[in-house]
Amino acid sequence: MSANIYHNRKAQWLAYIGLFLLLALVPVLFDSPFLLNQLARYAVFAMLAVSVSLVWGYGGILSLGQGIAFGLAAYGMGMTMQMQFQDPVSDPVPSFMLTNDLSTLPLLWEPFWSTPVGLALTIAVPTIFFIGFGAMMFQARVAGVFVAIMTLAMLAAWYAMAYDMQPFTSGFNGISPPMPFEFAGVSIDPYSPTAYLICVGFLAALTLAVKLLMQSKFGLVVQAIRDDPERVRFLGYNVAYYQVIVFAISGFIAACGGLCWVMVVQYVSPTSLELTLSVSAVIWAAVGGRLSLLGAILGAYLVNGLQSYMGDELQDVWMIVLGSIFIGVVLFLPRGLVGLIEDALGYFTGKSETETATVAIERTV
Amino acid sequence: MSLLELRNVSKRYGDFAAIDGLDLTINKGELRCLLGPNGAGKTTCMDLIVGRQRVSEGTVRLMGTDIAALSEHQIARKGVGRKFQIPSVFKELTVRQNLEVAFNRNKDPFLNMLSFKNFKGMKRYDEITDLIGLKDRSNTVSGLLSHGETQWLEIGLVLMQDPVLLLMDEPTAGMTEQETYKTSQIFNTLKGSHTLVVVEHDMSFVREIADVITVMHMGKLLAEGTITEIENNPQVRNVYLGTEGIH
Repeated sequence: MSANIYHNRKAQWLAYIGLFLLLALVPVLFDSPFLLNQLARYAVFAMLAVSVSLVWGYGGILSLGQGIAFGLAAYGMGMTMQMQFQDPVSDPVPSFMLTNDLSTLPLLWEPFWSTPVGLALTIAVPTIFFIGFGAMMFQARVAGVFVAIMTLAMLAAWYAMAYDMQPFTSGFNGISPPMPFEFAGVSIDPYSPTAYLICVGFLAALTLAVKLLMQSKFGLVVQAIRDDPERVRFLGYNVAYYQVIVFAISGFIAACGGLCWVMVVQYVSPTSLELTLSVSAVIWAAVGGRLSLLGAILGAYLVNGLQSYMGDELQDVWMIVLGSIFIGVVLFLPRGLVGLIEDALGYFTGKSETETATVAIERTV
Repeated sequence: MSLLELRNVSKRYGDFAAIDGLDLTINKGELRCLLGPNGAGKTTCMDLIVGRQRVSEGTVRLMGTDIAALSEHQIARKGVGRKFQIPSVFKELTVRQNLEVAFNRNKDPFLNMLSFKNFKGMKRYDEITDLIGLKDRSNTVSGLLSHGETQWLEIGLVLMQDPVLLLMDEPTAGMTEQETYKTSQIFNTLKGSHTLVVVEHDMSFVREIADVITVMHMGKLLAEGTITEIENNPQVRNVYLGTEGIH
């Protein structure tokens, strides 16, 4: 009896590593700064999709607030980069603050003089926020659609704050650091292979770490909580504790995405805290297959690729196209595109669809 | 020695008392059946023991310690296993993974992040899958199991916990006659080595397994005794079994 190779763990790891090697080879194969920058952006989106796959696909927590971590980190990175440009003596205050009647640097901005501190805050603040926000929700046993509503409301609150605190965030205009990010004396041009490889490196490291984590006992318990939290609780596990950790890890991943995002676009505005981005991330994961990290990554690349190359005349109706894709996937491909791959591999490795279902070893990949 | 002791336990919702001054003592190694008409408070009683609901009054002691104030997972860690009325298993996980989740002495998430060993509780896994008859279905996704198999799997989950006290809420609900018979065999195997409290409506099943029966009515204890005593108790016949006797 040969099982579907899709459920074979070794084959899964090979597929993941193969994909990341392929992505890493892009700068060697194509000498196009524009393409590299575009693919670096997709890699960032893929990180966001991975965070959704973890929290929703594995953890059963439908968070529409992954953009909170992404956006907070984006602002942290933007502030770090802005302060790299400022001079402590001759020019200590960013120009947008001066035009907003701030003559001294606000306390909030002070730590960002130091790049290491700035980077640490960029990652730590969103992660810690997710721990606190998650603890509040999961301790109170908020679940299902109510999590979606709460995360959505929280996202809207952060958006309004970024928008309204104009002297601190430059409001709607956003912050455009004049120089690329500089680290350890090296300037990282957003259009360079270095920037691209940093993004792919982050994506690969985070994805493989999550994959490994989900193969541990911890991952098994997380998936059990997705199926039936009450049952897990009465087996002696502190369900809220597990949920907070998964939520925080997903926040951490989204924060890494936000950091990389500003590195490759050299700009941050409230759009990264907009509802559109967070909901799109959920759609990317659903299209690719939320039960698979690889699926979520493919979903992010494909949907964004489609948007970029669909042609200018269709850009106006993009949201309609995206919505239609989402409805189509929900109706016809509940396991996403990787569900098709699962069935195809099952067919070719000698199992019909129904049989594979009964011998499935790993539902999640 | 009494393993579980409920003293003067009440649970009120406003003016309504779902449980009203209930005393119940379960001894170690006993199999106790809990009977009563709908709304008698059987499930509420179990909910109070496992911490799913809080007692309004009275004490719940497990092996001498008061557990009424502990949270669900803490009570479970003290060795109370609960099977629910509506079978709940992890539908997207395989039978084996279901049992793996249930088997764990270590509940800390961070330590569990470092645990990759395929399955430490191998011996107990074999024993339990033998007992519940799901040995050759270990790689089946449990959402595909039949209703009876799902019930058995949940019993297996609870056993995997290695609890000192098992609470079973209608374990034969929705089962065919044959499945019920197999379940009674499982329970008879557990008898003696485990302490069980079983809520059940199926009288033939109760006859098959019970030592002592407790009958509840309107949140109160109505009668306690062996099956013959209960069957001949006029009060019980009145409130629960009707005038026609036990079927």
